[in-house]
Amino acid sequence: MATTTLERTNTDSLIGRRIPKLDAPDKASGRTRYLHDINIPGQLHAKILRSSQVHARIVSIDVEAARRVPGVHAVITAADVPWQRPIGVTKDHLPLKSDIVRSRRDEIAAVAADTVEAADEALRLIRVTYEPLPVVATSAEALAPGAPLLHGEDLRAPGRGGALEVVHPASKDNVAMVHEYRQGDVAQGERDSAVVVEDVFWLHYVTHCCMGVSGVIAEFDPSGNLLLYSNTQVPFLHKREFAELLGIDPGRIRIIQPPIGGGFGSKLDIYPFEPIAIFLAKLTRRPVKLVFSREEEFIASPTRQPVLLKLRSGCDSAGRLTFRSVETLHDNGAYTSWGATTPFVMMQTISSLYRVPHCHYRTRAVYTNNPYAGSFRGYGNLQATFAVEAHMDKLADALGMDPLEFRLQNAQDPGETTPQGMHFRSCGFKDCLRTAAERSDYRAKRRANLAHWNDGNPIKRGIGIASMLHVGGGAKMYPSDGCGTIIKLDDFAKVTLITGASEIGQGSETVLAQLTCEELGLPIDAVTVVNNDTAITPWDVGVHASRTTFIGGNSAIGAARKAKRKILEAAAPTAGLAADELDLHGGSIVVKATGERVQDLGKFLRSLHFAEKADLVMTTYYYEPPSVHLDRQYRGDVSAAYSWATQVAEVEVDTETGVVRLLKITAAHDVGRVLNRLGIEGQIEGGIVMGQGYALTEDLLVEGGVIKNPNFRDYKLITAPEVPDVDVSFIETFDGEGPQGAKGVGEAPAICIAAAVANAIYNATGTRIYALPFTPEKVYRALRGKSTAPTWPESAA
Amino acid sequence: MTEIRDYVAPRSLADALRVLASGPATVLAGGTDLMPQSRAGRVRFAPTLLNVQGIDELRGVARDPGGVQIGALTTITSLLEDPLIRDRAPVLRTACDHFASSQIRNAATLGGNICNASPAGDTLVPLLVLGASVVLASAGPEGIVKRRLPLAEFLVGPGRTARRTDELLVAVQAPLPPAGWVDRYLKFGARPALDISAIALAVGGTLREGRLEDARIAFGAVAPTAIRASEAERVLSEGPLDRARIDRAVEAADATIRPISDVRASDWYRRELVHNLLRRVLNDVCDA
Repeated sequence: MATTTLERTNTDSLIGRRIPKLDAPDKASGRTRYLHDINIPGQLHAKILRSSQVHARIVSIDVEAARRVPGVHAVITAADVPWQRPIGVTKDHLPLKSDIVRSRRDEIAAVAADTVEAADEALRLIRVTYEPLPVVATSAEALAPGAPLLHGEDLRAPGRGGALEVVHPASKDNVAMVHEYRQGDVAQGERDSAVVVEDVFWLHYVTHCCMGVSGVIAEFDPSGNLLLYSNTQVPFLHKREFAELLGIDPGRIRIIQPPIGGGFGSKLDIYPFEPIAIFLAKLTRRPVKLVFSREEEFIASPTRQPVLLKLRSGCDSAGRLTFRSVETLHDNGAYTSWGATTPFVMMQTISSLYRVPHCHYRTRAVYTNNPYAGSFRGYGNLQATFAVEAHMDKLADALGMDPLEFRLQNAQDPGETTPQGMHFRSCGFKDCLRTAAERSDYRAKRRANLAHWNDGNPIKRGIGIASMLHVGGGAKMYPSDGCGTIIKLDDFAKVTLITGASEIGQGSETVLAQLTCEELGLPIDAVTVVNNDTAITPWDVGVHASRTTFIGGNSAIGAARKAKRKILEAAAPTAGLAADELDLHGGSIVVKATGERVQDLGKFLRSLHFAEKADLVMTTYYYEPPSVHLDRQYRGDVSAAYSWATQVAEVEVDTETGVVRLLKITAAHDVGRVLNRLGIEGQIEGGIVMGQGYALTEDLLVEGGVIKNPNFRDYKLITAPEVPDVDVSFIETFDGEGPQGAKGVGEAPAICIAAAVANAIYNATGTRIYALPFTPEKVYRALRGKSTAPTWPESAA
Repeated sequence: MTEIRDYVAPRSLADALRVLASGPATVLAGGTDLMPQSRAGRVRFAPTLLNVQGIDELRGVARDPGGVQIGALTTITSLLEDPLIRDRAPVLRTACDHFASSQIRNAATLGGNICNASPAGDTLVPLLVLGASVVLASAGPEGIVKRRLPLAEFLVGPGRTARRTDELLVAVQAPLPPAGWVDRYLKFGARPALDISAIALAVGGTLREGRLEDARIAFGAVAPTAIRASEAERVLSEGPLDRARIDRAVEAADATIRPISDVRASDWYRRELVHNLLRRVLNDVCDA
């Protein structure tokens, strides 16, 4: 690991240290109590009956036999909850389906029983008759003339007053959402171009594969207040949504988040299983626990958005980008979740990763009978970056330029504001490019590999480079992108940090504790973090957009600084010095200039507490980043900071089998500043492996709306022997707004691996593959000229 | 899931055979295939579940007059660690090394892998190359009756074997290869660990004066059972091992296999892999 860093003056600083995650010992030793381990006295176990059809009209549902199973307390269908309201990003989705099922995951009925076995038995006895409807299996089919309309009728649900109202109007076509962005004049860009390339890319289905399967426990108290044990990444947004769903005041909903067994974006939306558990709890007046099986997790979890992407790019003879034109079809699946909004991120990469004067971007998210797509670490950026970085190599090749040189020439610099309105106050992009290229010996290896294309050896080596831009200071998508913190110090100088920022395994708890202790001059073990109960913690928008360290960190620092000011001001009179001449260090109040100890902090706090004018040190802070919402033209400085990275992939390609082995990743990340070195290394290595799975092995096979491999045997995650050598350099740009100069990095490491691997395969073999993933058979077919590249469908013209 | 009425865990082979003789039973050994398959609804349990794990006499590797005898309950991990297998039948050891993951190898048994009769079963291909037989036991009027059957005859189809319902596979018997024996094993899947073969192949024979005598070639996952490629073996045995003969053997192998398309590979790709990898392995033997 290499770091470009400033000399540290304070050797006791916690910043940049290798601090083990606070939750690691419990997790490693199996002590952590996940939602799955929690059982409430009197609870019932719920199970969901899903459609056996991909697209069908429900003719009848017979639940009589199921209701008679001993131990069964409730069997419900849509008819039992006529008051249910729709969920999802466009409210096109009722938790329990009454008339039509639009995908194989669709929920038809649910059971609550004393045991899981009784619930399963009841499910088996429910008889559903269907009248099959034609299946829309691809976005191309969905756009074809005469295609069945998947949401061709008004969706009605009861409003506040109980009367039926249209909650999702009938759509005339299968287009669920459109996003279109323009800058400059693409036609002018074409005229300015010496080289133009155009390709169609297919970015496939993958799913999160959280080790902890989805689950929820719902419980109403006698007054009708709802308590949810939930794995959500956005408790405060969901509190409000659940309230709307139930028609009750949000103040009557409390969400407790037990430790979460993996999020990666999968828990940003409400899915039908959550309202269904709530319905069952309401009807049975018992706590209801609903936990997925692994197969259910594959079938009924959101996927990464599959995208068909047409990209046209140009540059002039001097190697300056002239324009980029992008059209995509997003396969939305049967309902609209966050996947349809990934264009917000994709267009940033299209318009602003490199300097491009003229851009046009258009996405249509299209309804099909496939599993529906949600949000997933990277949020569209893996898909956009894959295409953009393929074209960076192709344009450079066409000009005979070195791909690194071509990228450096078009890369962003600090201080730039892009036509889309993103302002790069800190930007280490060129340092990322140079560092990753130098440490991997990219230039020399690339040239050497080209010389082996026709040498007769079936094993080829390749090296490829790709970069990424992602928000690193939150993303203002909601009215507020803020986070609240409450800090209290007890009589013994122990700190309780109460933060709105959720821990989903990313290490935020540890980093927030570290930032707080850094301000208060305390050791890391002086802190207890409380971050999992909406009745206690202040508001936070949620865990997404790589924002927690940045936003939650600034919030924690703000609260800690207020606590520190209060302490020093109170201590100043007795010390005979001004407050700003004092400091907190090593658990004591000290003289700032000399470090001389004035008083033990605990002792001082006790004297404050038990004095005549008794007081405690308790502070609050709400941090709102200085970012703005996108305007209607998708312009605006949506994040308070932006993160950059370059990754170089080295591969070995066996041309007689198509096997691509990822040998090494050399990565350089502009992270602003390293806060917890151990944590950030782990996060980057984990992200690289996730990107590797996206590039090489993970493939959720969806055929005619049916998932063919809903298990870990056939859905292939990366296993330990495949993990490449990883060399990470941290480029520290000390962002002016970031907490201690840091920027968000959660999503960054997964984003450009596939793009770098694609470029490496080309460097090894001279074959460019336009569809992911690079599984052996697909690569072998491409090498033998036996594959057909993705094409743009006529129906989407 | 089917109702299991009786669960029996005998300590002796005789007791187990009496259970099998008395009516339909599902045999449970390591459970690494049976459990996931039954949960997925692909296996229907018989009314009796017969757990044979307690029958210690079915465990272990021993020399016998015919070569080596391996008890059916020997785990894949034990095979991997056995010095006799390592020194005299390395092709089997290599296959065990590519078998699933450590946890599964600790539980899975050789007998279970054979009786599961998957076309992609990891131990089948090396055992075919070694010329192994299976030993089947049943309860007879005078005590335990045993019969031996070549493995190639035991494997009948995907998931189907020549085992009668009253029989238990108790051991695998294989001759130990002679001096000068060379072998190779290759499992091809999408990843190096925890994978099911897209294809597997093994080659064995005695290298003498440029010829591969008594050549054996076996394939997994390219036919309804793991198979020997006898025509290709004949081609190899007829003369010196050179590039031209290897090409002819590859052609002959191509005529033997009957691959299908499934989630792991298409039939076309499986044929290509057989071509390229058999040629690669034989070239490697030739160059050695």
